[in-house]
Amino acid sequence: MIKQELPALEEKSIYVIREAKLKFKKIAALWSMGKDSTTMLALTRKAFLGKVPFPVIHIDNSIDFPETYQFRQDLAKKWNLDLIIAKSEIKPDMVGSACCGKNKPEALKKVMAEYGFDALIVSIRRDEHGVRAKERYMSPRDKNWKWDYKNQVAELWDDYTSKLDSKGHVRVHPLLDWNEIDVWRYVKQEKIPVNPLYFSRNGYRYRSLGCTHCTVPLKSNAKGVDDIIKELEVTKDEERSGRSMDKEREYAMLRLRSLGYM
Amino acid sequence: MEVKNIALLGHKDHGKSTLIGSLLMQTGAATKVRIKEAEEYSTKLGKPFEPAFILDSFTEEREQEMTYDTTRAEIKHKDLAFSLIDVPGHEELIKNMISGASYGEVALLLVSANKSEGIRDQTKRHLFISRMLGIDRLVVAVNKMDTVSYDEKRFNEIRGSLSVFISKIGFSPNSVRFVPISAYKGENLVRTSKYLKWYKGKPLIDEVYRFASMKGKPSTGMLRMVVQGAIPSDSGELVVGKIINGSLSMGERIKVLPAGLEASVDEITVKGKKVHAAKVNENVALKLDRSSSAEMRGNIVSAADNPPRLTDFIRSRIFVTGRINRKAMSIKFNGSDISCSSIKVLRGIDPTTGDVKSMKEVKPLDAVEAELRLARKIPAERYEDTKELGRFVLYNGKEFTGIGTIV
Repeated sequence: MIKQELPALEEKSIYVIREAKLKFKKIAALWSMGKDSTTMLALTRKAFLGKVPFPVIHIDNSIDFPETYQFRQDLAKKWNLDLIIAKSEIKPDMVGSACCGKNKPEALKKVMAEYGFDALIVSIRRDEHGVRAKERYMSPRDKNWKWDYKNQVAELWDDYTSKLDSKGHVRVHPLLDWNEIDVWRYVKQEKIPVNPLYFSRNGYRYRSLGCTHCTVPLKSNAKGVDDIIKELEVTKDEERSGRSMDKEREYAMLRLRSLGYM
Repeated sequence: MEVKNIALLGHKDHGKSTLIGSLLMQTGAATKVRIKEAEEYSTKLGKPFEPAFILDSFTEEREQEMTYDTTRAEIKHKDLAFSLIDVPGHEELIKNMISGASYGEVALLLVSANKSEGIRDQTKRHLFISRMLGIDRLVVAVNKMDTVSYDEKRFNEIRGSLSVFISKIGFSPNSVRFVPISAYKGENLVRTSKYLKWYKGKPLIDEVYRFASMKGKPSTGMLRMVVQGAIPSDSGELVVGKIINGSLSMGERIKVLPAGLEASVDEITVKGKKVHAAKVNENVALKLDRSSSAEMRGNIVSAADNPPRLTDFIRSRIFVTGRINRKAMSIKFNGSDISCSSIKVLRGIDPTTGDVKSMKEVKPLDAVEAELRLARKIPAERYEDTKELGRFVLYNGKEFTGIGTIV
């Protein structure tokens, strides 16, 4: 996995986060308590002199891991986060894309409408998935939340979309350029707190964190951040190989994203 | 590892995505899952293995064997990483091509050596656009050499006729290399090819490296900072933005235009830390000794004694991608939308020849030189001097209509 220069990645993300906050009227960020969205919050604190100047939303289906809830509570307090918990209902027998593609976006839709957010920071990265690689730094979603991936907005230089559909919102992707290994190197450099589930216990660790129903740990002896970086230097496996919904169908991700999945 | 952005260019079906797929495999950057998925999809469509499927991820892209939108893939070579920017080659998708290519530092153009393909209008249009976007280093990969039995004559023929056009639109001959390859067969990409003994240069990846490792054009060193806006802080309001040229020190006298504010810099914060000076590409937060009630967003900060020109009249070169409706045009300039009160076309330029042509009506895929009258003054400079202050995006209402550079 390619290690990029952290200062350059950092500058780009800070630029995009500031741009989003200053361009849109009411912005929020999604926080899953995973390493990416927590890194995004750390970058936001750098951009805004130690503060996170917008609400962070956790879409909570009540079946996240206990460690995840503990982590949420601790960091929200430490970083003084304006946390919005959007409760998502879990229906019996719903797993994979049926759940992630429906329940979570529905809960998010409700909270976005309630607060009137016009932009949402989402910490996706290009190297996670071929479909995510096609994203813009700022990408409009229409009033039905559809991603018009066949006719995306032009995005040149540092100029991002401002031509908004009145009832839609804009997805902002400040971490698009980062690779998985860069996130971990940055976590190390900045001593960013991370969810303990990423570290190996009894020979297994979570490489990508979803909820308890759909995330499977992978074989790994990486007990700390340094071990994870070493592991990623040589791996040929995909980051999301422990996520069931990605594997259901090769184009699950495209369908999900075009319907509003994060 | 430093990342260099390489923009792939070329007519559709001349092999851009296939090349990236093959490079990902030969440099070991493709994951097992991606390769397996591409294999499975090739089989499903009843085709031999198609390396392009490692990259093209939209269902429609694979089924129609056509790239819809720009994407990126990373490979490394020696001490550099290349972010390969794939773009669609299809004419109707030029907006997506421009979006991708605008991030390029070096261009990698594909031309098919196949007798029924060769140099096309779109090949030249992509070159024309890349020059407008400021790319000045170019590697031309003459692809599909396997379909012409790796014939040196065919390679020379393409090189000869394309070289004339390339010089005409402003590439310096020293900044252009031609490399014969077969992206599909994987020949002369990372290793030299036994079929190309007559070729004396290096494999494609080394020729790209040669240009990618060169330093870009030196900047003028004049301070220019794009202001994103103002943010509150415990010590009062801070002006935030990115330095796009030169550097800035504490105590410096600055001018903020078009707001017209002149002030001294009391404090500079970079990445949350107070510093004495900040340099190009850094995002800063400035505490000034005075404030202005004017809107800060979209302003340009410069040294007080060396400000950019403030003007509402710009002469520019524009590549047009959509319909011009003179009543609804606006430009996007450093984050601000500014409406155009008039556009006067001076002359047309044929992007496929580089020649001046008469132009009664401006159509998509034309290039023009035009004078624009804007609704308000902007701090503008010639593209050649400070590219960030010399370029804009043209809109017709909400529709992306083209890109322009100030001459």
